[in-house]
Amino acid sequence: MSRYFQNIYDTLSTLLTGMSITWKHMVNIKRDNVTLQYPEERWPRPERNIGFEHKNYNVIRSRLHVDIDDCIGCLKCERACPVDCIKIDTIKSPTRGEDIPDVKHTGETSNGTKKALVVSRFTIDMSECCYCNLCTYPCPEECIFMVGGPNSSKHPIDYEFSEFDRTDLIYQFAKKLSTEQKDGLQKPLPKAKA
Amino acid sequence: MTVDTLINWFATMGDFPILAFILAVVISGIPLFLVMALNAMIAVYVERKVSAFMMDRVGPMGQGPGLHAGKWGLLQTAADAIKLLVKEDTVPESSDKFLFKMAPYIIFIGAFLGLAAVPFSSSLQVADFNVGVFYIIAVGSIGIIGIVMAGWASNNKWSLYGAMRSAAQIISYEIPAGLSIIVPIMMAGTLNLQELIIFQSGTIWGILPNWIIFNNPFSFIAFFTFFISAVAETNRTPFDIPEAESELVAGWMTEYSGFRWAVFFLSEYANMLVVSGLAVAGFLGGWQSPIPGLFNTGLWGLFWFMGKLGFLIFVMMWFRWTFPRLRVDQLMHVCWKVLIPITMFNIFGVGIWKLIFG
Repeated sequence: MSRYFQNIYDTLSTLLTGMSITWKHMVNIKRDNVTLQYPEERWPRPERNIGFEHKNYNVIRSRLHVDIDDCIGCLKCERACPVDCIKIDTIKSPTRGEDIPDVKHTGETSNGTKKALVVSRFTIDMSECCYCNLCTYPCPEECIFMVGGPNSSKHPIDYEFSEFDRTDLIYQFAKKLSTEQKDGLQKPLPKAKA
Repeated sequence: MTVDTLINWFATMGDFPILAFILAVVISGIPLFLVMALNAMIAVYVERKVSAFMMDRVGPMGQGPGLHAGKWGLLQTAADAIKLLVKEDTVPESSDKFLFKMAPYIIFIGAFLGLAAVPFSSSLQVADFNVGVFYIIAVGSIGIIGIVMAGWASNNKWSLYGAMRSAAQIISYEIPAGLSIIVPIMMAGTLNLQELIIFQSGTIWGILPNWIIFNNPFSFIAFFTFFISAVAETNRTPFDIPEAESELVAGWMTEYSGFRWAVFFLSEYANMLVVSGLAVAGFLGGWQSPIPGLFNTGLWGLFWFMGKLGFLIFVMMWFRWTFPRLRVDQLMHVCWKVLIPITMFNIFGVGIWKLIFG
């Protein structure tokens, strides 16, 4: 008989203990909350410790980036790409090595090379990219590179690069040209008088 | 405002008894349905938030309407409702089609009938029966017919198991619930819910409100036995073995989807409202203010009743997100070997208390 009442007492006391625990968690939700509202909040990125100096580590492959003002449209990276995820269109510049402010084209690269071509399209499909780094070696102007490592000063690292739409993973690097602007560039030069 | 007063009011305008009856029922039924729907919407949101907070999560969140579910996820219930309504309404091929389609409505009727007798305030009650307590206990059993129908008609092992468990559970737990509610009936000497609440006005020792729960030790215990049985009757955790997700998928609701499932959901939350309403009216002073003599008139009554109701529903959610589910034999043990002896003892105790002090 006493066992029966002991059982009831044990049940009630343990139930109350459990309820007090959940109550404490409920009222302290501001302090104990573990959920991050992901796109708005992120965990801080841990300091990277790879065992040796950061700047010596040359092969961090985060994602490709192109400094389009330095690109001369030589298509070497497009040919090097094993999965054909780089697509480049070019239009012959009417005036070699000179700025065309109309299409925001700079005439010279930072290495001093005079550009003969206007790059009208430079897309990298990041969903196809295999991060092999093969496109960065042939580039004569060193304008296509993997973000991160020694290049982290040139461009911030984004480890996530998630997008809401799959087509947003096709990165557009060339400046947007309208059809009229393209036509204007392709217009034949006025012939010199005979 | 009851159906009877409406019928009498229509009767003063002319002699059309049947039309007056139908009008009165429709006029009082629509607000009741709105209360039911509103209760489900708020309770679902609160339940999501309470469960999340108890698990150190934040629940539905968002920055604004559109991509996310509104500020603090306030539009979550609306999104849920729209999702349920546009879902495909499937009927299993080998099911008993007629029973399958009838079951949600029977369960809904059971919950809706019970809500009709809940005294929301001193004047706001759809049907003021002189056997109100008995009526609510009686129509509370209609739902089980629908549950067994749903389980049988689905032609699914999980549904059948769930329905059988639900039948066993509800039939068992109606006994302690009924025996517990006898305590306030014995003390007030009436089955009418309004008279039961009016009995609880005044104070005990000048401080405590004269609610039946504070009246004597037996009624104090009776409130808890009634509340535990009420939680079991609404099939909520820790007594949710009829729809135990980890064993029976969704129990007797396994084959249901879309609107029919939404009706089950609505009825479940309305049942919570009904049993909490009975507990509030029977033990917690109904629409009486917790500060005796203050704020006791007019709309304050509605406020106090809804406040007590909301608190009891919150406690049910608290139970749900704290306690693990009982096994079938444990469930029967709690009912037949613990609750029923205690409630029997309570009845004798209250009788003797009434002989000596009453």
